Amino acid sequence: MQKDLESKFLLDFEQNQNIVHKVCRIYTTNRDAHNDLFQEVVIQLWKNYSKFRGDSKFSTWMYRVALNTAISLYRKSTRSIKTQDIDNFTYKIKSSDYDGTEELQLKALYAAIHKLNDIDKALIFLYLEDKPYKEISETLGITQVNARVKMNRAKEKLKNILNP
Amino acid sequence: MDLETYKKTWENQPEETNSVSKIDIYKMAHSKSSSVVKWVFILGVIELSIGVCLNLFIPDSYIEAYNDLGLKKFINYSIILNYIIIILFLIIFYKNYKAVSSTENTKRLLNNILRVRRTVKYYVYYNLTGAFIFMVIIYTTVFSNEELFIKNFNPENLEVNINTLITSTIISLIVVIILVLFIIWLFYRVTYGILLGRLKKNYKELDSLEHLN
Repeated sequence: MQKDLESKFLLDFEQNQNIVHKVCRIYTTNRDAHNDLFQEVVIQLWKNYSKFRGDSKFSTWMYRVALNTAISLYRKSTRSIKTQDIDNFTYKIKSSDYDGTEELQLKALYAAIHKLNDIDKALIFLYLEDKPYKEISETLGITQVNARVKMNRAKEKLKNILNP
Repeated sequence: MDLETYKKTWENQPEETNSVSKIDIYKMAHSKSSSVVKWVFILGVIELSIGVCLNLFIPDSYIEAYNDLGLKKFINYSIILNYIIIILFLIIFYKNYKAVSSTENTKRLLNNILRVRRTVKYYVYYNLTGAFIFMVIIYTTVFSNEELFIKNFNPENLEVNINTLITSTIISLIVVIILVLFIIWLFYRVTYGILLGRLKKNYKELDSLEHLN
């Protein structure tokens, strides 16, 4: 039983790991921190996997656990993010079918997201991932109305950072 | 620029090139093997430090008794030799820990876990046989010299039959040797035994995972 659960978890996680990588990218600015957060998310997911009964999609549940882990870790750490870290922030976003302007835009987007607070980061991330408000409210444990209000504020902040 | 444009950019971003394999995910979720092997190393270090401390507090009368036996040199050399061997074991334990925590591939991790189990077993065998040989050498020296024997085992010079004394002493010494070895064995059984048991469980899990892939 345990064995089946474990292999299913590994398979599910392997297929959806990109979600966690993206969460790590918005909450951390260097490779080590990225890997630490990634591992922490894996631990949290596995610890709670037996409680996950498939009421929602695995990926939806993963968004929730990954963001909550990132937010609580972010709160614990007193270290503020240094701006020069962003220059080291390469994450191999170079790709042949990805042109230069888009690459610059993506860098600017990440740099702007890094300036947001932990909750706004989560909201913007879910917006960029094109999640409906119902899912956003469930993921963050707030009402849909509240999610809309907070989302509009977060978007406004992001716009101001992107277009000063 | 509109946020919708950024959203497109976001959607088009390439997938993480550094994707993590099942085995890595397993290791992260459990992060057990490497911490178990780390404890093997820490336990070895603690054991060595306690041994060194105990040696510093051996009463002088003991050392004098060994001096009478002409075993002072033997004792000193064997203590030094013992430390060298234990430090070598600790170096191997440390290397094992490094190897297990940095292994990327399941097959190699399985082999490394087996190697950890093997070195710990050798370590325990070494300690048990070392203690046995040490005790045997000391007691045979005592018995080979009647004068010394009486000095050590009948210091008050009571009226006893020398043969009865020898027989009873030999029997009680055998019991003591067995008891000491048993206590050492029990100590290792509890400490390293538990750690090795956990490693064995990890090994089995990893092994079934390997067949799965």
